[in-house]
Amino acid sequence: MDYLGQDRREGLGRKANSRFVLLLLMLVSVILLLSSLYSAQASVFRKAREGVIDAASPVLEFFAGPIAAVQGLTGGIADYFDVLEQNQALRQENAELRQWMNEALELRKTIAAYEGLQSYQAPPKATPIDAFVIGESNDAFTRSMIVNAGRGRNVETGQAVVDDDGLVGRVVETGARAARVLLLTDVQSRVPVYVEDADLEGILVGKTRGRPAISFTASSEPQEVIPGQRVLTSGAGGVLPRGLPIGEIADEADDGIVVDLYSNYARTRMVRVINYEFPAVVAGDADVESDGAGADDADVDTANEAVAPETGG
Amino acid sequence: MGHRGESLLRFLKATTPSALGLIGVIILALPVRFFGGFAPTPILPLVVVFFWSIYGPNYLPSLSIFFIGLAQDLLTGGPPGLWAGVYLLTQFVVMSQRPYFIGREQQVVWLGFVFAAASAGLIVWLVMSLMAGVLLPVREHALQIAATIAIYPLIGSGFGRLHRRVIVEA
Repeated sequence: MDYLGQDRREGLGRKANSRFVLLLLMLVSVILLLSSLYSAQASVFRKAREGVIDAASPVLEFFAGPIAAVQGLTGGIADYFDVLEQNQALRQENAELRQWMNEALELRKTIAAYEGLQSYQAPPKATPIDAFVIGESNDAFTRSMIVNAGRGRNVETGQAVVDDDGLVGRVVETGARAARVLLLTDVQSRVPVYVEDADLEGILVGKTRGRPAISFTASSEPQEVIPGQRVLTSGAGGVLPRGLPIGEIADEADDGIVVDLYSNYARTRMVRVINYEFPAVVAGDADVESDGAGADDADVDTANEAVAPETGG
Repeated sequence: MGHRGESLLRFLKATTPSALGLIGVIILALPVRFFGGFAPTPILPLVVVFFWSIYGPNYLPSLSIFFIGLAQDLLTGGPPGLWAGVYLLTQFVVMSQRPYFIGREQQVVWLGFVFAAASAGLIVWLVMSLMAGVLLPVREHALQIAATIAIYPLIGSGFGRLHRRVIVEA
């Protein structure tokens, strides 16, 4: 049997472990926890979080590459066995996409004609920032990812993050080199959305489990939705741009309308942070984005105008 | 070896448990995904805290534990102070039971760890639920705690060897 019983007065100093220090630090932890309850966004906490993300990002980046390579290898082996089925499915999808492409080309011409009209004002263009996922919280309760782009590359807190399937989440903390993305499934995630063809606006609420749900709707009456309808960002709140695809209606449950997300977090490796400035902010003075003045003189739709002052927070 | 080298070596040995705790925190933030989904990553720092609270509390001072826990909270995006408090509480309780654990068979120590991990898991779940305002689903959290408990015999015996042959012995 394995016995262990050594104890020597060495280590980090002779009296490294006094009970007083232990209890004092426990008290400090509890105070930290309680104060974070009331001021989760306090600048001290935010700075600390951003500092830790920045400090850990070189280490995470170093390991993220090999991990992805190994996972790609195992995935590749699995793919090898159903190459035929995949090929067939892809061919079919390709044929469908070709039709869509023709339609899109037609539409592009029409839109160009409309844009030629004098009264037309083009909405501000969003500039995407590419980034790799270098970390994620392997925690049952917090759902977030760390990406390797930060303030140095114009990433700012609040920006939307998409992968090639749809919205992944939004940036909640921004360090100099890395940023944290709160996923749509996190219990703290609230994203204003609308359901296409259903005249329904609401808030998508994360549920920790796989699928989030539209919990609060703009009208209190029960709304009719059909499974399969698309769910997109509504742009209310003036933070996320309107029209980013999120997912499809899955079914209705007691606590809301369950949404199947387009993006598959298990496969998300590369993302784009969408640097988008709202028309209200662009038209007004960029420096005073946190007061309501900018929204008054700009022609924006009511949803944006009502909550535009939130942008700075 | 010169005096300087010797003291450097001693410093490295003394900081090994703290460094292991930090490595455990980094592992909790790596994008490891098995079978296309959530992988219950073992909470390695909890093993580190439990082990050295029994066999060498002087090698893992409370201040190290505090910073390990705080680093985990900040890096995984949880409320700051949660895991720091849980790890410190673990150390407090385990150290009060030290005379019982010292020299016992590893199965008994493992049973102790089962209690420690389960209580830590329960506290974290309660606090997170309290903060979220709803009772959070338990399944994945329970899986993670179970994974931590399951790897303890392996990691614990590795730590045991490390502690006896490298850290304590010259």
